[in-house]
Amino acid sequence: MTSSSVPSRKVLSKIASNRLQKEVMEWQTNPPAGFKYKVNDSLQRWIIEVTGAPGTLYTGETYQLQVDFPEHYPMEAPQVIFIPPAPLHPHIYSNGHICLDILYDSWSPAMTVSSVCISILSMLSSSPAKERPADNDRYVRNCRNGRSPKETRWWFHDDKV
Amino acid sequence: MDPEEDMHDARGESSQEEEDFYSEGYPSDGEDEDDDGDDAGYDFVDNDSDDPSTDVRRLQQNYTTLNEENISQRQADDINRVSTVLSIKRWEACVLLRHYNWSVSKVHDEWFADEENVRKTVGLLEKHIEMPNKRELTCGICFENYPRDTMKASPCGHPFCFSCWRGYISTSINDGPGCLMLRCPDPTCRAAVGLDMVDSMASREDREKYARYLRRSYVEDNRKTKWCPAPGCEYAVEFVMGSGSYDVCCKCSYSFCWNCTEEAHRPVDCGTVARWILKNSAESENMNWILANSKPCPKCKRPIEKNQGCMHITCTPPCKFEFCWLCLGPWTEHGERTGGFYACNRYESAKQEGAYDESERRREMAKNSLERYTHYYERWAANQSSRQKALTDLQALQNEKLEKLSDRQSQPESQLKFITDAWLQIVECRRVLKWTYAYGFYLHENEHAKRQFFEYLQGEAESGLERLHQCAEKELQVYLEAETPLKDFNDFRTKLAGLTSVTRNYFENLVRALESGLNDVGPSNSQAGSNQAACSKSSSSKSLAPGKSKSGKSRTGGAATSSRSGSSRGMDDSIWTCDSCTCTNPKSNSHCQACDRHR
Repeated sequence: MTSSSVPSRKVLSKIASNRLQKEVMEWQTNPPAGFKYKVNDSLQRWIIEVTGAPGTLYTGETYQLQVDFPEHYPMEAPQVIFIPPAPLHPHIYSNGHICLDILYDSWSPAMTVSSVCISILSMLSSSPAKERPADNDRYVRNCRNGRSPKETRWWFHDDKV
Repeated sequence: MDPEEDMHDARGESSQEEEDFYSEGYPSDGEDEDDDGDDAGYDFVDNDSDDPSTDVRRLQQNYTTLNEENISQRQADDINRVSTVLSIKRWEACVLLRHYNWSVSKVHDEWFADEENVRKTVGLLEKHIEMPNKRELTCGICFENYPRDTMKASPCGHPFCFSCWRGYISTSINDGPGCLMLRCPDPTCRAAVGLDMVDSMASREDREKYARYLRRSYVEDNRKTKWCPAPGCEYAVEFVMGSGSYDVCCKCSYSFCWNCTEEAHRPVDCGTVARWILKNSAESENMNWILANSKPCPKCKRPIEKNQGCMHITCTPPCKFEFCWLCLGPWTEHGERTGGFYACNRYESAKQEGAYDESERRREMAKNSLERYTHYYERWAANQSSRQKALTDLQALQNEKLEKLSDRQSQPESQLKFITDAWLQIVECRRVLKWTYAYGFYLHENEHAKRQFFEYLQGEAESGLERLHQCAEKELQVYLEAETPLKDFNDFRTKLAGLTSVTRNYFENLVRALESGLNDVGPSNSQAGSNQAACSKSSSSKSLAPGKSKSGKSRTGGAATSSRSGSSRGMDDSIWTCDSCTCTNPKSNSHCQACDRHR
């Protein structure tokens, strides 16, 4: 993985780490179907394995999500990207950036990693075709210098997929 | 589609407006006649007074300047009104008004048409739901447990702890004006979070910020009000829509156009001003970049740079207008039908029809006109700086010179108002003159007759103004420096006051003539019936005769009027210019209409 996914690392606030500890506990007792939390020593960066849901274009395929938490999580949204190779999907760029409103404008502090994961899986499951976004090459070129997807101004135009 | 194309569009509209102006101009000229009639009645009473109708026109302001207190007061009044009429809480009324851009009537209309739907869109619940009735509740954000009475919820009953509420509200306030449309943090819930929650939980600093956003929104989202654009000015101006001239003068003394918020620019229309200003921006590279890479949001007009992504653009909150980058049409009309999300058939087909090549060609032509542009720009800028200088002079005059003059010439300062008036007139005339150069720049080169007439009028205006400026500047000097009162000071007064009034009339008429697009000249109105053309010719050329001062003294007979109207074409040999006051008179008059001096 290149530097492109490293957010400005500030230590988690007390509120953030308390809340993340609760989320870890909740995840352990009640993990979302299709996801595996790969334990590491950092509370601030989670690596999660996704398995494509049965009966969809991604059946059996596995991908890795990288979730980075900002200092003021959950008031601020986490940064969520696929670690390349990212699934072929009209809303997922080849550098792993995901065009999904709840990760940006529509984030709410009442959401959790688990609820984000479920949204991403549902986005994958409803994909009509395995293809990249039309502007993939241009976007990825613009992102080269380590831009976080949170700095992108996204426009969300498709509520079907 | 590119911004320049928009400008052309804007100009197209404005020229249509000009036509409207033109057609409305006729009846209003009729009104002028009525005024004259009224005038005749007043003549018995007060022979020397200025035309009363002009005074009335000046007093009838179509705008009001508002300070911070006025704004808050009006906002509170509107909130109270809605709250009373709809029997809802004040914070709810506030959320509603914000959603409908502070239009009380719109709120009432929508509410009474479909209350349920309005409540749903805005997030106002009809029944307040209590938080779960347990001793301890879990906060939906930090997932900690707290006693029920330390938790708070919107009317939707989703409980959050005090500190999470505070963080949630604070984050949203610091994100910008979108905080005025805050919803419950629960992602499944759309309940509004309003002023009462903010006031009861946010820090003082955040509360003040929120109040500032509210006030700003009241001015910016309201169709009736705008901020005064002068740097550092905190007044807003409320404008009565559809009430004629957009020129307003803020209490800070800055004059601006309420429509486009550029400085006051009569007689030039807003589209022309926008083009002119863009053209003037020294960094032409920069300008080319703006043209090539950004477009104004079709709804709120803020420039938007597109750096990546598909053609579907959503403007930043609170505008949030969704549109197509290519055709600038609303996104709701797009989809597979128009070529999918990444292309727009409307744009492509318009391009094939040549609609967009046209703008390219115009752009090309503009490039070739650099020299012409420089000519106009230099004169535009010269009048601008001359105006600035006149403003400084006026200030110096008011600060010290008038006092000195009053001393030297043994005149009470109240008797010296004519000097201030003269300078105010100079400032105004410089402003008008300045914009006539932008007008001239955009006047079509093919319209020779119009251009000639325009240049004639502009030249007259310029020399008239020079005369006034000279008198107010140089001749005044003599009286300022005299050791003892000079006998002819009263003559000076008469001359300067006369010049001021003549110049004012000339410029007012000039503005009117240019605003009507010089419609009495040239073949541009080939469609208009010859009858109407003749009418407009007579009315407009009449209004152009600068001496149409309405003071009793200078009123001329009907015969003179008709001969004037007949003379509009052969301008040069059918008129004469008064040596004393520069006023233009019809040949048939032996005395100047303005100053009554013999030819």
